[in-house]
Amino acid sequence: MTDKILIALKSIAKNKNRNFLTMLGIIIGIASVICILAIGDGFTHTVTKGMGSHNVKNKVILQWEPTSDYNTDGGFTQNDASALSKVPGVDHVKLTSSVVEAGAKAQYKTKNVSMSLNKQPKHLKLIKGTYFTMTGASNGVYISEDLAHKLFKENAINRLISIDGTVFVVQGIYRVNDMTEYRPDAYVSKTIFKELFANQISKDRAKLYISSDANKKQVGKTAVKRMKKMGEQKNTGRYVVSNPDQISKQFTKIMNDITYFIAFIAGISLLIAGIGVMNVMYITVSERRKEIGIRRAFGATSSDIRNQFLIESVVLCVIGGIIGIIFGYLFVSIINAFLPFKAVITPYAIILSLSVSTAVGLIFGFIPSNKAAKSELVGLLKEE
Amino acid sequence: MLKVTNVGKTYGKFTALENINLEVADGEFLAIMGPSGSGKSTLINILGLLDQSYTGEYLLEGKSYKDVNDNELSQIRGDQLGFVFQNFKLLTTYSVYENIEIPLIYSKKEQNKKHELVADVIQKVGLDGKEKNLPSELSGGQQQRVAIARAIVNRPKLIIADEPTGALDSKTSKEIMEIFTKLNKAGTTIIMVTHDSEVADYAMRTVYIRDGRLYNDEKSVKNHD
Ligand SMILES: Nc1ncnc2c1ncn2[C@@H]1O[C@H](COP(=O)(O)OP(=O)(O)OP(=O)(O)O)[C@@H](O)[C@H]1O
Ligand SMILES: [Mg+2]
Repeated sequence: MTDKILIALKSIAKNKNRNFLTMLGIIIGIASVICILAIGDGFTHTVTKGMGSHNVKNKVILQWEPTSDYNTDGGFTQNDASALSKVPGVDHVKLTSSVVEAGAKAQYKTKNVSMSLNKQPKHLKLIKGTYFTMTGASNGVYISEDLAHKLFKENAINRLISIDGTVFVVQGIYRVNDMTEYRPDAYVSKTIFKELFANQISKDRAKLYISSDANKKQVGKTAVKRMKKMGEQKNTGRYVVSNPDQISKQFTKIMNDITYFIAFIAGISLLIAGIGVMNVMYITVSERRKEIGIRRAFGATSSDIRNQFLIESVVLCVIGGIIGIIFGYLFVSIINAFLPFKAVITPYAIILSLSVSTAVGLIFGFIPSNKAAKSELVGLLKEE
Repeated sequence: MLKVTNVGKTYGKFTALENINLEVADGEFLAIMGPSGSGKSTLINILGLLDQSYTGEYLLEGKSYKDVNDNELSQIRGDQLGFVFQNFKLLTTYSVYENIEIPLIYSKKEQNKKHELVADVIQKVGLDGKEKNLPSELSGGQQQRVAIARAIVNRPKLIIADEPTGALDSKTSKEIMEIFTKLNKAGTTIIMVTHDSEVADYAMRTVYIRDGRLYNDEKSVKNHD
């Protein structure tokens, strides 16, 4: 077999340019296949790993969702929590919030503006003022350029504004790039945030810690039923069991669309590649009628000839496939810089790519090889 | 070795061979002569099992191969027959060694003996040291030696040569014919087509073809005219 592959490599090397052009389609097709699989595998890997930490076995998460866009403030109250803790199977209940920032009203002179605010982060780039971590009950505030424009005509630094009735001094202004990041309108010190604003954040999420023998689904159902009946904010919102799968489902759909698109490209280029391979094999066969005649006269059976050209076609495609895998690898490294998760090339993807290349070689090489095998011997030997 | 009885061949309406009767004994060296287009190649292709579409009967070592399958036919061609052609028919991108090796690729001979067999025939035809050369780096006479080496590497019983000296000058032709004579002396049956009566003189016997008909001596050809 090795000698037969060597023969194939030799005759492929004889027409490097022609064969390389033929390989291009395969290279593109296989590179696409590698990318699809890498993205798909990387995504599945990330999601399943994420679910492991997110969706701990003994926890059911209940979410309150507002039914109207006007009144979005709401969630679970302490009474709701104690009602939920009485659901059979529930060990204890913790109320949390899906958002971390608080909403407030800012006032400067006669201007009144709604704004969001949060505790200050460790680092923040300012366009005005200097940034430092405020200690204790410091009444400093950092505001966004946007909010500064809404409140002040000119310089905002060191001016006093009132946020929900408490007076703050503007310490600095930061710019928010809407395209790439999200930031609230203002930052206050950690202590102040905790004391004045944190309790305002509505607890729209209830974590039900369940005992190990309880049925998650059942607990979720009962809890939702109970809240529907006696939840204190059942009129402004509805209660659902939050399913981490849901988010990934939507994401999966997008991923699938992308995958289908790339698969489509891969399929088309492999089809075109296959036709190219067929064409080049036809040319090869007709160019080498003399060789076929000689081999036949010296003992080659027609299946020896068919195999020789089939091997050549497969070797051609597999070389293209290997180059395609290399390109796919490079491409995956590039797109990994932009993906929110890491695309991975699995051994399975490589095996599949090589199998696809082989299949293209076999399928599209078959008819030309068969033509070579079936040619009439006397005619072949007249060939020069 | 072989027996041809009443063999004919037509290309459409054209009769290329008609009523051919010929017997060749083991160890014979037969020359076939005749003008261009008379049917020499057509006949020799039938004898070499390269062409199976003929009428009449052809027995090689008492066996008819008219209806055997491709595998068996290929095996006989590879193991029992050796072909030499006028224009050498070497693979131009393969070295001398690789050209000579071709029949061994398809034979059932032991792999480890192959190198020995090739080395042996290279020495027999006097091409030592040229193993790695390409055919284009050899003279016409040397190329024909490669072709002969390839024809005999499988130790065939019968060599079929279609104008083996057709592309060579008379001095080189002589050298090639000496190789043929040696092979024949060693027991190989040879059937050779030639235009050249000097070349035909190396054979034990000469037959003549004219317009698809076979004659046993030159006189009868003339009588026929
Ligand atoms: N495939 C074919 N179709 C039709 N006619 C053919 C075919 N092959 C050969 N012939 C005819 O058969 C006749 C014999 O051809 P052949 O090749 O046997 O001649 P030849 O004696 O070998 O001639 P030369 O000495 O020139 O090689 C010729 O007249 C040729 O035109
Ligand atoms: Mg001829």
